[in-house]
Amino acid sequence: MGTNTDYIISVEDLVKEYNGGKVVALDHCSLNVKKGQVIAIIGPSGSGKSTMLRSLNLLEEPTSGKIYFNVIDLTSKGVDINKHRQKIGMVFQHFNLFPHKTVLENITMAPVTLKKQTEEESKETALNLLERVGLIDKAYEYPNMLSGGQKQRIAIVRALAMEPEVMLFDEPTSALDPEMVGEVLDVMKELAAEGMTMIVVTHEMGFAREVADEIIFMSDGRIIERGSPVQIFENPENQRTKNFIDKVL
Amino acid sequence: MFWDWWQSLFVDMSSANFFNFSFLPRYGYAVIQGVEYTLILSVISVLMAVLPALLLATMRLSKNKAVRCISGAYIAAFRSTPILVQLMIIYYGVFSIITVPKFMIFGFIDSTRFIPGVTALALNSSAYVAEIFRAGILAVDSGQMEAARSLGLSQFQSMRLVILPQAVKNVLPALANEVITMVKESSVCMVLGMAEIMFTAQTIGGSTMISIGPYMLAAFIYFVITYPTSKVIERIERRMRRGDKH
Repeated sequence: MGTNTDYIISVEDLVKEYNGGKVVALDHCSLNVKKGQVIAIIGPSGSGKSTMLRSLNLLEEPTSGKIYFNVIDLTSKGVDINKHRQKIGMVFQHFNLFPHKTVLENITMAPVTLKKQTEEESKETALNLLERVGLIDKAYEYPNMLSGGQKQRIAIVRALAMEPEVMLFDEPTSALDPEMVGEVLDVMKELAAEGMTMIVVTHEMGFAREVADEIIFMSDGRIIERGSPVQIFENPENQRTKNFIDKVL
Repeated sequence: MFWDWWQSLFVDMSSANFFNFSFLPRYGYAVIQGVEYTLILSVISVLMAVLPALLLATMRLSKNKAVRCISGAYIAAFRSTPILVQLMIIYYGVFSIITVPKFMIFGFIDSTRFIPGVTALALNSSAYVAEIFRAGILAVDSGQMEAARSLGLSQFQSMRLVILPQAVKNVLPALANEVITMVKESSVCMVLGMAEIMFTAQTIGGSTMISIGPYMLAAFIYFVITYPTSKVIERIERRMRRGDKH
């Protein structure tokens, strides 16, 4: 399965345990992502959604199981994870912008340091991306001068500047004031429309329904159900999915 | 009775008088040089401690248990034994093997004593500064490292570009406090005959037979250096903390 070239990311039997097996965060989860797909992972808190997402670029080291990215098993020894992470963008709930760097430096730091682009090229890319998200006037400001929504849009731009093949979003709107959720979701929708492969852990059911090609419902570290938005939201098969959907809609 | 004694403190210029500073006109220059010696000694010691401390702190935070233990053992050894003992062992032990060439630093500091002294103080200080750095690094939000790593930066690059620049800001006041501590601690160097404040006081006492006055002056000098400085650092620290909230 992992060697199927149709899949940009393929997860096989992923297990993540804490405290020597006392806590099981992920219980034999498998997942396939095709290029250009948008996958939304939903579920109650503590269900393992974030752990699953963070395992994909090995921010969490899995206890067992395999994670294939472009047919390469990231969990095998001798894999240069830093090289692959350059192609896997990530956006965090709390933005995690670098407070000691300007917006522009936040965006150009990785491409320049990793010699993907010269300083000039990188600056041009950054300014173009900032223009697209409507924040070009903030290029020389420091993150602490910005609102949450602006910070998150810049965090997205920072990840995009590395020209990733897939973008991971870890509850990107959960830390935002309600009036700022829209501006971030708009950027994500645009990205999806351009054909970016995206895996999004979210509580925004409207977004998941509208943008995702596939919804994955997780609970207690397991993937309980997966399917199209219509199927999951209107005809859930599993009782737990049904309960969750009833509660959040 | 009490008043007689109290007045005698100021009138009677006996050798046991607390406030007999009659040596000052003659030895004032030596005192000033002693102060310079102490300041140079403590500042250089802490500066020399910075790089080893950085290494110790990163080792202490390593994933590798052996590496963590080596650093932990060093820090424990230097923090749990008196600095005077460390100074003796390093001077008579290490520097009996290594010979320091004799030359004068700033025209009045003898290298054969200064270099062993600075080495001992720096080795001692690096254990304390390492803990300061460790706390400073841990105070940086863990999301910062994750964000840097998720972009494809290595552990080292993330440390250098993202974590350390932020940690330095957390750490500067504590580092300044370490210099203040070192100003006081460096007085142990008198036993090696390093001409810092305490050694100067002792020398003056010996040659003028005024037993207490020189030490009172030494105490006064230490206080005047360390107390206002620590107050200034406190104020800067408070202002920095206020700035962080924005």
